[in-house]
Amino acid sequence: MGRWPSFPPQACWLCFFLLLAGPALAGAAEYRLVSDTLLRGFETNVGGDEDLVLPLYQYLQADVGTPGEPPLTFHLYGWGRVELAGSDHFERTFAGGDDTAGELLYGYLEYVSPEVPLTARLGRQYVFEGVARESIDGLRLDAGLSPWFSLCAYGGWPVGLDATDGRSGDSIYGGRFTHHRRGLYEVGLSYKNVDNDSRQAEELLGLDFSLLLPAGISFFGYSTYNLESSGWAEDYYELRLAFDRLQLRPFFQRFDYDDYFATGANTGRPFRFLAGTGETVNVFGTDLLWLQSEVWEWGLKAKHYDYDERDNTAQFLSALLTWSAEEGRSQAGGELGWMNGDSAENEYLLSRLFVYWDLPQTPLLDFATADLVYVWYDETIHGDDDSFFLTLGGGTRLLQDRLELKVAADYSSDPYFDDDLRGWLLATYVFSR
Amino acid sequence: MANRSLPLMPIVLLALLLLAACATMQGVWRAPAQHPEELGPGRPTCTECHPARDEQLPYERFDHSTFFMDNHTVAAHQGEQVCRMCHATSFCNDCHATRVELKPSDRHKTETYRRMPHRGDYLTRHRIDGRIDPMSCFRCHGNPKTSRSCAPCHP
Repeated sequence: MGRWPSFPPQACWLCFFLLLAGPALAGAAEYRLVSDTLLRGFETNVGGDEDLVLPLYQYLQADVGTPGEPPLTFHLYGWGRVELAGSDHFERTFAGGDDTAGELLYGYLEYVSPEVPLTARLGRQYVFEGVARESIDGLRLDAGLSPWFSLCAYGGWPVGLDATDGRSGDSIYGGRFTHHRRGLYEVGLSYKNVDNDSRQAEELLGLDFSLLLPAGISFFGYSTYNLESSGWAEDYYELRLAFDRLQLRPFFQRFDYDDYFATGANTGRPFRFLAGTGETVNVFGTDLLWLQSEVWEWGLKAKHYDYDERDNTAQFLSALLTWSAEEGRSQAGGELGWMNGDSAENEYLLSRLFVYWDLPQTPLLDFATADLVYVWYDETIHGDDDSFFLTLGGGTRLLQDRLELKVAADYSSDPYFDDDLRGWLLATYVFSR
Repeated sequence: MANRSLPLMPIVLLALLLLAACATMQGVWRAPAQHPEELGPGRPTCTECHPARDEQLPYERFDHSTFFMDNHTVAAHQGEQVCRMCHATSFCNDCHATRVELKPSDRHKTETYRRMPHRGDYLTRHRIDGRIDPMSCFRCHGNPKTSRSCAPCHP
């Protein structure tokens, strides 16, 4: 007797939604499918054995129904990958990796009430609300309670923990309550609780605000309190000042490693050791942007890191220049950055030049691109003190822009790869009604 | 750490309360589901057409200037409705996802005009960035699933 095939949870979710929403969605006037088929090619050399790696990726995005009209819509996005050359590259590169992989990133039904300010989402979805940056399988409700108050609430299962001893006993719930006077200020109080295998994995409380002051001045910020470790994990405050074409953004951040990285199951293993270091980092700096014209933008970025426990500092300084064509998408620019740690092993100089050029009159090629990144390290890494990376690409649009073909080739020479060549081919097809 | 189970009852009660509250609400502003007009190519600057601020939205906050990619966190967390007018969540998922294998600049190789993390040889550079600013690594690689790309070298 043969075995029943075992369906992944995401497939069960999809079947459930489609059964539930089928009749309503069948009448939907519009749908849009975006298919990205991406082939990469490169060689690896581990222990003297050269391997060709040819991963083929398929991304699929589906949107059924126009958002908000009719009120019920369905949205899906996911990817799958198969290694065509049979190498063991992915087994070595990712923990638990295999020659095939895939993930449903979201798949949910959305209901937007035409009469009242209520939005409901059911299924796999991302929640970006206050202290939440989570993928959940569950329900999310977002409602305007009055002109001055809003509430978002969500609950379900955390997707990030489904590989940690299964989903039994896993749960996530939380929300964000907001008081606002639109055009003047907003204050939000948010909460998130994550359980893994019936044990608490994370519990956070957050406060965020935005304040729009006269004369183009804005003040934003948030603070996150870790209820599990009883300490402030992170504070962030930024001021935005605009003087005609000049924009200034001074900011301050503070992190407490013990409370920020935490030790619960929702923290990835590489970061857990940081939670025991007792480190506190104060980061302050500013961005300065000068919009010289619609064509030229100049930018400066400065960041200063001050570590209490390590008792040292680091700085990052960067200058940027961007040129954008008045018509079309053509852009070019460059960046020069300097990371200056207290020791030579933490210093590098970064430079980047990029071009994206529209070629509307050229047969076979609608645009051409180039990206060059050169980094110089103050202390050698595996015997090298620099990295050189260059990618050249181009693309064409066919079938009234429904099909886009893009091709690119990379060359890099760096401490990990000598004279490395990589190929990249992407076909994007948009099908809609 | 206390044992817990999924608190379905409070969630259902909250949902019902919300529905009841909303059933009475009329005239509360909300962002349109889609931007009313199709935007042209390139990075959008909201204030080219809108005032810097009005009674509903601080449009200046969503101008996609050079540093917008670096600094969009607070704007996105407080104004997800605004992001949604132009971006499907798939756009965010290039960076913010439970499991993706390709770094954003490998997923969108020819979009050289976009500021993306990890451009060029980041394998080498991450040794330094990771020592100086592990907080920024943690935002995207922080949970057990997203840290699988770190695990072979950082078990």
